[in-house]
Amino acid sequence: MPPGPTPDRLWTIRTDGSRRKLHPADVRGRFIRARRWVFALLMLIALALPIVHIGGHPAMQLDIAARRFYLFGAVFNATDAWIGVFVLGAVAAMLLFVTAWKGRVWCGWACPQTVFLEGAYRRIERLIDGPGEKRLRDDLAPLSARKAMRRIVKHTLFVAVSFVIAHSTVAYFMSFPVLFADIQEGPAAHGDAFVWAMVMTAILYFNFAWFREQLCIVICPYGRMQSVLVDGGSTVVGYDVTRGEPRGKVGSTTGDCVDCNRCVAVCPTGIDIRAGLQMECIACSQCIDACDEIMDKLQRPRGLVRYDSQRNFVGGEHRSRARLWVYGLLFAIAVGGGIFATSHRANVEARLLRTRGAPWIVENGWVRNQYELHVTNKRALTTTYRITPLAPPGARIIQSVATVELAPLASARITIIVSVPQDSRQFDLGVAVDGPGLHETATARFLTPSMR
Amino acid sequence: MSTDKPEPLDTGHDYDGIHELDNRLPNWWLFTLFGAIVFGAGYWFYYHAFEGRGLLVDLRAEEAEQARKAAASAPVTDELLVKLSHDPKTMTGAKSLFITTCAICHGADGEGKIGPNLTDDNWIHGNKPSDIYKTVSGGVASKGMPSWEPALGHEKVTWLAAYVESLRGKHLAGKAPEGEKL
Repeated sequence: MPPGPTPDRLWTIRTDGSRRKLHPADVRGRFIRARRWVFALLMLIALALPIVHIGGHPAMQLDIAARRFYLFGAVFNATDAWIGVFVLGAVAAMLLFVTAWKGRVWCGWACPQTVFLEGAYRRIERLIDGPGEKRLRDDLAPLSARKAMRRIVKHTLFVAVSFVIAHSTVAYFMSFPVLFADIQEGPAAHGDAFVWAMVMTAILYFNFAWFREQLCIVICPYGRMQSVLVDGGSTVVGYDVTRGEPRGKVGSTTGDCVDCNRCVAVCPTGIDIRAGLQMECIACSQCIDACDEIMDKLQRPRGLVRYDSQRNFVGGEHRSRARLWVYGLLFAIAVGGGIFATSHRANVEARLLRTRGAPWIVENGWVRNQYELHVTNKRALTTTYRITPLAPPGARIIQSVATVELAPLASARITIIVSVPQDSRQFDLGVAVDGPGLHETATARFLTPSMR
Repeated sequence: MSTDKPEPLDTGHDYDGIHELDNRLPNWWLFTLFGAIVFGAGYWFYYHAFEGRGLLVDLRAEEAEQARKAAASAPVTDELLVKLSHDPKTMTGAKSLFITTCAICHGADGEGKIGPNLTDDNWIHGNKPSDIYKTVSGGVASKGMPSWEPALGHEKVTWLAAYVESLRGKHLAGKAPEGEKL
C-alpha cells in the first residue's frame, strides 16, 4: 500500500520539513457543480460592491480618511461605531450557530480563500497545466522549454488575477472612480494607494499561487476551534465506517469501500477523510462527489462519504441540543439590537453647550445666558435644519441664524442668547432642531442668580 | 522504506488520552522564525545601537522644526494689527468672520446690541489695538464676552482684533457709549 495521509502528521509537510505540493484530482458531481455557481456569484459580489453606486456612494465603502462608512446608500459616522458591537456580536453568534448546526460549511462554500482559490486560481492552473495527475508528474519532470512556457503563462495570469482582486480590495477604502482616476494620474501622485495595491497584489499572489491550504491549516484559527465548535450532532463531511469497513477490492470483503483512494486524491488539504473528522478538513465536499461517482459505477448506494452528523455515522440516537437554541437566541438578540439601533439612529446630532465664562450676566433688570448649539447632519444628503429655542414666554431670544444648511456629515455652531427678567427661576432650556422628518431637542440649564 | 513512513513521533506525553506528537516543523514556518530573528537584530542595531538615522535623530529634527515655527510667529503688536487693518484681503475674510461670530452681540457693523458699540470713542477695556486683541482673545467673563482664542485660534483672533481696529471712529448710531472716552 502506498504511503498516504494519516491524522498523526501534516501530509502537506514531508518528514524533512519540506512542502508537499498538492494537486487535487478533477472531481465531478452535484456539490462541485453547485459550488462553482456559488463561487462565481460570490466573486461577482465581491468585485461589484465597490463599483456599484447607490445614492451617490459605493454600495460598500469604508472611507478611513473621512471616517465614514457607506453601506447600500446609508452613511455611518465614526460616532455610529457602537452599532458595530451588534454586527460583531451577530457575526460571532452566527459563527457559533452555523458551525454547531452545519459544521464548517463556511470554509468549503463561502470563505474567500476557497472561493478565489477554487473559483479562479485552480481553474487557471487546470486550464494551463492539465488535470491533477498530470500536474503531479509535471512537477517532477525536468525543466523543458514547454514547461517553462506554461509556468510563465500561468504565473502571469496568477499575477493578473491578484492585481484585479487587490485593486478591488483597495477600492473598498477609496471608491472605484477615485481609484481609477488615481491610476490614470500615476503612482508618483498617489504613492500610498499605489504601494497598498502592489503589496496586496504580492500577498494575494504568494497566498494563492504557493501558500494555499497552509493558510487554512496553520494560520486560520477557525479550524483549530473545530473540536469545541462541533459536537456529535453537527453536520460534517464524514465516512460511514460501519458500511465501508473492512475495505478492500470488490468481492474480497463485505465493506463497501473499495479503497480506490479517490477521496484522498481530490482532497484540497491532503487528508484521508476515512480517518475521521480532522482539523484540516474544510468541508469542501469534494470527497463526497468523488466517492458518489465510484459508488454509482459499482451500482452501490451513494453516501459512503456524505454530509451527516458524527452521531448518525455510528448509529447513535438523536438528542436535542440546547446549544443550538442558545446560539440562535444570541444571534437573534444581536440582529434585533442592530436593527433597533440602526433604525433609531438619530440622523441629526444636536448638543447645547453653555458658552465659557460667567454663568449669567445681569443687565438692566434682565438676566442673560449664552449658549452654543452644535449641530451635525448625519444624513447622506445636504439638509436644512430649523433651529427653534423653546424658552418660556416673555424671554428675549437672539440667535445667530434661524436655519442652517449642512452638507452630509458637516456640522455648525450656532450662538443662542436668551434673556429673562431678573427674578426668574432657573429652568432647562430646550432647543428644537427640525429637518425633513427629523426632530431632535437639545437641552441645557438656564442659570439665574435666584438659585431656586 | 519510504522517507515518508512515519518515524516514532509520540513523545510519550499523555494528557487525558491526548498524545503529544513531535513532528518536524514546516520549513517555511522555520524560515519566518529565523527571518524574524534576523530582522529583529537588524532593527535593534539600526534604531538603538547606532543612532545614525534612528528615532532620536528624527526627534531632534522635529524639535528643531517646532522651535523654528515658534520663533516665526511674531508677537501681536499694535503696529502689526494696524498694518493688518489696512490690508483689504485680511479685512474681507475678517468681516465675514465678524458677521458669523461677533455680529449677534455687537451688530453687523459693530454698532452694538447686547455688546458695546465698537465704533464710538468710548472704551471699557482699553483702546490700544493690543488691548482689543487681549479682550477678544481672553474674553471678559463677567460681561458675557467669551474667550475666542480656544475656539478660533490665534490667527483668526488676530484678524478679528485688526477688524475691530478698522471700525474705530466710524461713529455709527447704535448702542449708547459705555466706558471711558479715550
